[in-house]
Amino acid sequence: MAKSLSARNIVKRYGGVVALSDGNLDVRTGEVVALIGANGSGKSTMSKVINGVVVLDGGQLLLDDKPVHFSSPQAAKNMGIATVFQELSLIPHMTVAENIWLTREPMTAFGTVNRKALKEKTEQLLSLFRGTYKTDLHLDDPVASLPADEKQIIEILKAISFDPWMVILDEATASLDSRQVQRLFELVADWKKAGKAVVFVSHRMEEIFRIADKYSVLRNGKTVGAGEMKDINEKELVKLMIEKESVFTFSRGETKANDKPVCLEVKDLRTDSLRGVSFSAREGELVGIGGLRGQGQRDLLLALFGDVPYSGRVGLFGNESRLRHPREAMKLGLALVPGDRAREGLLYIRSILENLQLPSWAQYGFPLKINKAKSDATKAGESLNLIMAGLGEPVSSLSGGNAQKVVLGKWLMRKPKLLLLDDPTKGVDVGTKAEIYALITQLCSEGKTILFYSSDDEELVGLCDRVLVIHDGIIRTELSGATLTKENLISASLGVSNGYHPESLTGGAQ
Amino acid sequence: MKKRITWDFLMTRYPAFFPLILLVLSIAINLFLQPNMFDRETLNSNMRVFLPLILMAVGQAIVLLGGGIDISVGGVVSIVNTILATRVGLDGSPEKMWQFVLVSLLAGVLAGAINGFFIAYLRLQPIITTYATSFLYAGFALFILPNPGGGIPADIANLYRPSTPLGLPLAFHVIAILLLVWIYVSSTRYGKFLFAVGGKADAAYETAVPVTTMQFSIYVISGLMSALAGIAITMLSGSGNAEIGNPMTLNSITAVVIGGNAFSGGIGGVAGPVMGAVTLSLIQNIISFAHINTWWETLVKATIIVVALAAPGVINLIRRRRA
Repeated sequence: MAKSLSARNIVKRYGGVVALSDGNLDVRTGEVVALIGANGSGKSTMSKVINGVVVLDGGQLLLDDKPVHFSSPQAAKNMGIATVFQELSLIPHMTVAENIWLTREPMTAFGTVNRKALKEKTEQLLSLFRGTYKTDLHLDDPVASLPADEKQIIEILKAISFDPWMVILDEATASLDSRQVQRLFELVADWKKAGKAVVFVSHRMEEIFRIADKYSVLRNGKTVGAGEMKDINEKELVKLMIEKESVFTFSRGETKANDKPVCLEVKDLRTDSLRGVSFSAREGELVGIGGLRGQGQRDLLLALFGDVPYSGRVGLFGNESRLRHPREAMKLGLALVPGDRAREGLLYIRSILENLQLPSWAQYGFPLKINKAKSDATKAGESLNLIMAGLGEPVSSLSGGNAQKVVLGKWLMRKPKLLLLDDPTKGVDVGTKAEIYALITQLCSEGKTILFYSSDDEELVGLCDRVLVIHDGIIRTELSGATLTKENLISASLGVSNGYHPESLTGGAQ
Repeated sequence: MKKRITWDFLMTRYPAFFPLILLVLSIAINLFLQPNMFDRETLNSNMRVFLPLILMAVGQAIVLLGGGIDISVGGVVSIVNTILATRVGLDGSPEKMWQFVLVSLLAGVLAGAINGFFIAYLRLQPIITTYATSFLYAGFALFILPNPGGGIPADIANLYRPSTPLGLPLAFHVIAILLLVWIYVSSTRYGKFLFAVGGKADAAYETAVPVTTMQFSIYVISGLMSALAGIAITMLSGSGNAEIGNPMTLNSITAVVIGGNAFSGGIGGVAGPVMGAVTLSLIQNIISFAHINTWWETLVKATIIVVALAAPGVINLIRRRRA
């Protein structure tokens, strides 16, 4: 009856990017294994390897010590491995019951779905979370009409509905409230007793220590540590997750005296994913925004650029502002370098000239003073050290790093006073990264204010004067000066100490 | 809050609700202009003209539900029409007719299978693929019958035209059968998969729904329904014309969208598109009875269609503004 699944030396590449270079994992019936790692360490890829969503480039999966190969999610499912997907696998306009039992509907003799049996089986599953639903959840409701936490519960119920021996919970607690998490953990305990295995992927340290029996830590695509939870504490785990050596030498200057005027004042900013954010930034300041991906950082930058509706107050350069459209933000001297370069930052098939000048055409009159525009664009390209065959070439002909320079250039040409950067070094080569760092530092010394979100903790620590750590839509901690270390940043991102007392973090992490 | 849910509830759970309003409205106007509309003879002569579009709309509805689109349906209708008109002939025997009805159905299935192969297995864009094959099929129809002509025996065509079994137009029986089959199919696993694939193909794949097979099958069904439409329109006209199907393609899509099915797939049914097809045909009727100048006809018809299509969007916009 005891089953086990092992992953050995897993390699997985996406194009040129190595997501996993040496991933290992051992799971056995009756135990909960926590899969831990920082942003981009390969956790999600690892869970996609063991549930058959991605095909391996190297390494081996062993089921009960015999090699297996999962060619599709279906193959893994047939082996009794169920996944609660982070990006839910629910069909929005189908009902709760239809979603849970899709492909495994109880049938009648006439080949139709047996509604009565479907109803009974669904009621039975829904009762597992009874008392934690906030709405009057009904099994005939379309899933699209449910709040996020109930969708997550349906996804969990769907995964366990076919009685698997192993359940992968990929960030399954992220949208659940504490009561629902509690209920889930009670269920996990039941599953353990019933001889199921659970892989628990989570960022929440507190939860990991509550239910996991074993841990496996990934760092940069490699498994760097595994063992029993009882033999390790939070600080040791965080240390395992952190890279030791660094490619870059950052020159974070001494924290400058805060005598410059405040140019950005945000009070109680709320959006769909922000739950009241307040902070201010002074002229020439580089303010980092940190935390795990998808905690509301993107929304913060978009709201300040007038791109998503928000409530709360935003003061810009001493005046109360109400930003309803990016146009208004641009007029006030704001610029946003968006996180998804290909989709939001560039017109890929259009020329470099058009891309650089896209926000600025209005300055060139009618008819367009095209030569002036060209010479300005050439200057901008030169100052950014943009390597290109010519201004007329399409952006698609550029490397990732150079394409990102075009995005930066198109905004810098407008001489913005406040720059919002959404992960500007993502998917950029090492050389360009160094250039972007130099550029950021230079812009700040010229008196421009920069809000800098990065998924790379090292950058934040190396460059910023201070870092606001966002967790679950609020600023958990502000780190600066001596408290701004990678250990503190990661601990705060994971919500280790609830983040309210940065001084208590500094003590032990060193 | 409660009110919002009611409207969403109506729109998502009963997608045929809005088309029903449109249908009732157009029947009322039509009745006003043509008081004898519900006489058996008038009703039948109207319905037998509507039937080909209704059949096509059902096929198109299945394709849209499954997240695709088929703009080659008119070409299939033309192929079927030309096959029957050239192979059976005005003096053909009934046996020969039924034989080539079977051939026509196979031709429709084959045309659909070609679309399905490209879209499901080669992963090509549905709109581009069926646009390309629409020329393939239209061209093939012209190859079979370059100039209008030929036809089917008058006594066979007469089986279709005045046929009113149980005192009701033949089209009513066909609609009833279509709806019964749909009610059955939508409660089978196939029906659930159809909604799943059209609603969110990625999630369906992760849930082990046979996405590729489903996508292939919807085009085969569409080809089959177009072939049936081609047979019906041939029985109606009694003659052959390689361009007979061309104007029907866009009408079939319009009928489905008026019928409340989402263009993006996964929402709707078949009853709505049937009502949409009838509504669309009634609009044509209304225009001819309203004695509108021929020159204005296209403009008036298009305006009515645009308003009908825009109405749910406008209602949603007003609701959002209020919220």
